[in-house]
Amino acid sequence: METLWLAPALVCYALSAAIFIVGRVARISRASGWATLMLGAGAVFHAFDLATRGLQAGNIPVTNFAQALSFLAWLTALAGMILIVRLQMAAIGGYIAAAVALALGASTIIMKGGRIVLPATLQSVWLPIHVTLAILGYSMFVLAASVSLVYLAYESRLKAKRPLGPPSERLPSLEKLDRINYSLLGWGFALLSLAIVTGAIWADATWGHFWSWEPVESWSLAIWILYAGLLESRLTVGWRGRRAAALTIVVFVVLVGSFVGVSLIYPGKHGGSFG
Amino acid sequence: MEQTLFILGLNHRTAAVAVRERLAYADNDIAPALVRFREHTPSITEAAILSTCNRVEIIGVAADCERALADAAEFIAADRAVALEAFSGALYRLSGREAARHLFRVGASLDSMMVGEPQILGQVKLAYANAAEAGTVGLVLHRAFHKGFSVAKRIRKATLIGHGTVSVSAAAVALAGQIFDSLKDKTVMLMGAGKMAELTARQLRAIGIESLIITSRTFDHTVALARALGGTAVPFDNYKPYLKIADVVIGSVAVTRPVIALDEFETIIKERRYKPIFLIDLGVPRNFDERMNSLENVYLYDIDDLAQVVHKTRAEREREAAKAEAIVELELEAFWRWMNGLDLVPTIKDIRYSIDRLRDLEMGRHRGWLSALEPAERERVEGLTRGLTNKLLHRILQGLRTSGANTPEGAYAAEVARKLLCGEISAASADLEALGEGPGADDDQEEDEF
Repeated sequence: METLWLAPALVCYALSAAIFIVGRVARISRASGWATLMLGAGAVFHAFDLATRGLQAGNIPVTNFAQALSFLAWLTALAGMILIVRLQMAAIGGYIAAAVALALGASTIIMKGGRIVLPATLQSVWLPIHVTLAILGYSMFVLAASVSLVYLAYESRLKAKRPLGPPSERLPSLEKLDRINYSLLGWGFALLSLAIVTGAIWADATWGHFWSWEPVESWSLAIWILYAGLLESRLTVGWRGRRAAALTIVVFVVLVGSFVGVSLIYPGKHGGSFG
Repeated sequence: MEQTLFILGLNHRTAAVAVRERLAYADNDIAPALVRFREHTPSITEAAILSTCNRVEIIGVAADCERALADAAEFIAADRAVALEAFSGALYRLSGREAARHLFRVGASLDSMMVGEPQILGQVKLAYANAAEAGTVGLVLHRAFHKGFSVAKRIRKATLIGHGTVSVSAAAVALAGQIFDSLKDKTVMLMGAGKMAELTARQLRAIGIESLIITSRTFDHTVALARALGGTAVPFDNYKPYLKIADVVIGSVAVTRPVIALDEFETIIKERRYKPIFLIDLGVPRNFDERMNSLENVYLYDIDDLAQVVHKTRAEREREAAKAEAIVELELEAFWRWMNGLDLVPTIKDIRYSIDRLRDLEMGRHRGWLSALEPAERERVEGLTRGLTNKLLHRILQGLRTSGANTPEGAYAAEVARKLLCGEISAASADLEALGEGPGADDDQEEDEF
C-alpha cells in the first residue's frame, strides 16, 4: 500500500542525512540548521503517510514488520529532532537522519501490497499502547547508539591528541554525550519494561496467558536483560564513558539483529501473521 | 589644500611597555584630551585617540599632514608630560591611504600582538565613541571608522582569524571544555606551583570551577598560593587521596621520574569508578607517565601536546590573516575612491532617479487633461518637462563634478546635494522596495553605507 506522502518523506530524510554529513565534512556551519529542517519536513510528510494508513486500518498502522519499522523511523526522527534542537546535539544528526532514511527505505521495500486487516481479537485499546511504548523504547536505543558512536569518535580524537574539531561549531563535551547516552538508555529501558508488561496484560486478556515464549517475546526479554545489565554496570562498577558507549553499540547491534532476524524469519504474532 | 587622514602612534612592535604605559590614556581622560588637542592645534579638523595596552594612536584629519603629525607629536608629549625625544623614535607617522589601511588593519586585529584577538574592535569602537563625545568627529573620521568596523566584521565572518586557542593555558582550558560539560561542579588539583600552572589554574578559576586543591613541595608557598587563588592547601606527602576526587590535575612539580606509578594510578582510577580525569602535564621532566593516557577515561596532555594545539591554531590564523589582508585592500580601495570624491556615481544615480520620479508624479497628477490632448501635443508637453528636468539635472551634476572634485569637500557637496534632492529616497532603496525588502534589510550593508 503506497501513499503519496512516502516518497517526499524519504527524499527529505535522505537529503537531511546528506546535508548533515556534507556540512560536517566541508565544515559548513549553517548546514546543520538546514539538515534539521529537512528532517522535520520529512517527519511531517511521514506523519501524513502514517495517518493515511492509520485511517485505512482503523487503528495504529503497525500490523506488520514493515509498518512497525516505518513507525520506528518516524518516532526516531521526532525524538532525534528534540535532541538536536533542545540539547544542541547536531553532532548526532548525520547518524539519526541516515538511520531514519534507511529504516523507512527498508520498510518501503519490504512493505507488502494490499490492505492488512487486523483480526477482531487484536482490535484493542492495548494495541496502540503496547506498540507505541515498545517502538518508542526502541527509538531511544537508536538515539543512544548514535550518541555512543559520536562519543567514540570524539574520545578517540582526544586520546590521539587531535582535539578541537571544526572551529565553526560547538561540539558537545564527552561528559554531555555520556550523560545523554545514560538518560536515553534509562528512558528506553523504562519504555521497554512497560511495553513488556502491557503486552503481557493484553496477551492474558486475549489468549488467557501472559507469556507464550514466542521469538519476539524471548528476544525482547533477552534485550531487556542486556540493557538492565548495561545500566547496572554503570551504577555499580561505574562503567561509563568509552566502555558504556561501546557496550551500548554492541547491545544495539544485537537488538537490530533480533528485530530484523526474528521478524523476517519467524514472524509469529508480532510479525503480522495472526494465527 | 585637501583634507586627508593621518595617524601618529606607537605600538607593541615599536615601543616597550615602559614607554607605552607612560603615554597611555585612561578611558575617561580621552574626551577631555581631545578637546584640549583641538584647542591647541588649529591645523587639525578631526581627531580621535586610540589607547590600549598595546598601542597609543592619534587618528586625525588635516589639510597639512606634515604639520599635523608634528603638532600631534608635540601635543602628546606635552599632554602626557613625557619628553618627545623619549619616544619620538618609536612613532609611526602615516598619512592618506597608509593611515586608512592602518586603521582598518588595527580594527580587524591584523596588527595585534595576537592576530585575531577579539578585544581590539571594541577598543576601536570606544575610541570612536570618545571622539564623538568630544565632538571631534567629522565626516571623514565618521566614514573611516565605520568603514573600519564593517571591514572587521566582514573579516570575522569571512575568515577563521579569531578561531582556536592561542596560549598553552587557554588550550588546556579549551580541552577541559571538550571533556567536561561544565567546569562549575569540578575539582581542580594543582601539583607544584609553576608559573604556567598558576596561570592555567587562574583561567579555570575565572570560568568558575567549584574547588581548587593545591599541593607543592614548599608548604608555605602552597598556602600563599592557595590563599591568592582561593583554594585548599594540601601537604605534598599527602596529596594522593585527593586524586580520587580531582577532575583536572595540573602537574608542574620538579621531578626526575613520574610522581605516581602507573599501577598505583590504575588503582586510583578504579576507585574513582572510571570518572573521567584530565591530566595536564606542564612539568619538564614530565610529571605523569605517558602510558596513563591509554587508561580508561583518562586524558593526558603534556606540554608538547598543548604546544601542538596552539601551534596549529597560530598557523591557521596566519593563513587566515592573508585572506583578511586581501579584504582590507579591497575595502581600502572603495574607501579611497570615496575619499577622493570620485565616487559620485551612486549619488548621481540617486539624484537622477529622484528627479525623474518627481516628473513622473507630476505627469501622473495631470493625467486627466493630458489624455484629452492630441497625441502630438501630448508629446510636446512631455518633451517640455523632460527638457526641464534634464537641464536641471545637468546643472547639478556639472556643479558636483567641478566643485572640489577629488577632495572630501567634493564628497561633502555630494552628500548635501543628495540630502536636499533625494531626502530618504535613493535609487538603491527604491530597487529594494520594489523587491519587497525595505532598506536596511541587511545590517552589514547598512553599516557599510554609513
